[in-house]
Amino acid sequence: MDYVGSRFPDFGPPGPPGRELTSAKVVVAGGFGVGKSTFIRSIVENDLLTMTALPPERAGLVTELVRIQFGRVWLDPGLALHLFVAPQWQDPRAGWNDVVRGAVGAVVLFDVMRPADSVDAMRYFEDHHIPYVLALNNVHASVRSDVKAIIRGMGIDPAVPVVNCDPRVRLSVRETLISLTEHAKLDRWRRRPGPDETTPLAPVC
Amino acid sequence: MSSAADAHRRRRRAETPAEQTFADLMNGFTLDSGRRRSRTAPDVPAREATPVVTPVPQVPQEEPPVFESSVPELPDASIVRAYAWTGGRTRSNINLEIETLVSANDQTRQSAGILQAEHQHVVELCRAPRSVAEVAALMRLPLGVAKVLLGDMAERGLVDVHQTASAGGVTPDLGLMERVLSGLRRL
Repeated sequence: MDYVGSRFPDFGPPGPPGRELTSAKVVVAGGFGVGKSTFIRSIVENDLLTMTALPPERAGLVTELVRIQFGRVWLDPGLALHLFVAPQWQDPRAGWNDVVRGAVGAVVLFDVMRPADSVDAMRYFEDHHIPYVLALNNVHASVRSDVKAIIRGMGIDPAVPVVNCDPRVRLSVRETLISLTEHAKLDRWRRRPGPDETTPLAPVC
Repeated sequence: MSSAADAHRRRRRAETPAEQTFADLMNGFTLDSGRRRSRTAPDVPAREATPVVTPVPQVPQEEPPVFESSVPELPDASIVRAYAWTGGRTRSNINLEIETLVSANDQTRQSAGILQAEHQHVVELCRAPRSVAEVAALMRLPLGVAKVLLGDMAERGLVDVHQTASAGGVTPDLGLMERVLSGLRRL
């Protein structure tokens, strides 16, 4: 995590010169200790980096510095996907804008033992029309039917995919990100169908 | 007889200044210290003007690798210095998102020797494309400072900015999502 000793680490295949580069990002949110960093660490090649930021509303108060962990993976030679841990600030809505603006979508990790911890994040994404998936951190396994009842009780959009996810397993994380992107694609298409855009295929879950 | 008394008096006189100094010191700790304020007054403003960040250790905080902390990082002196680089500005003229990629171009690489230190640092860092967030993290700068620094460098043509596909809009376009999807499937 600390790169002071090493010279700047090589993070992955850099785009060849002249090739157009672009980037996308995904936000990973959820309660404390639910596995957000683990989730990201499972998919990126290197260890996570940490940047500091000031929530815009509080800029000037040095004591309000916040740490944001993130990782990056090159999806093709010109496309870098960033995964950011949504910071748990005192007021979760206070400074998320920088992290969330322009994101493909969000993964809300959901600890089946502590469902209430993820409600703030879900509400934020619902209010801001940011597509998200609920990823049940199902380390304890086989409680999914109960959890689904809880989720329906919380009144979230039935279109939101609910997937099982073990943040320690790369394949599981990858599947979660794929279902997020498919959901985001559908959501985007539903919201603003452009003239030259064709109907995306239904997600295969 | 009288010489013995003189010697005693001399000793008393010699001790007096030391006793007064000690009394001064003690007065400094008591509520009565206002009596001596005129002597200590010049020190007071200097002490009050000391920046708040002084007591904080300047050693960069090592962080535990796994633990997710919501505790804000302690400010260190380099943050104050960093804001001095930006002339106190917290906004950049160029629209940079945290995931926006920047890279040094060939021309900059050749002229790296004549750049100011922090620009040189960024150029070295951006030999491979880096996001704004990475530059902030690797240079241990607050995000706002990194944005201003990179914005300045982009305006002077020192780094190329590769706009994100969502730049200008709120959500990425379908083409980018398709690319993300096929990239994820290849992972």
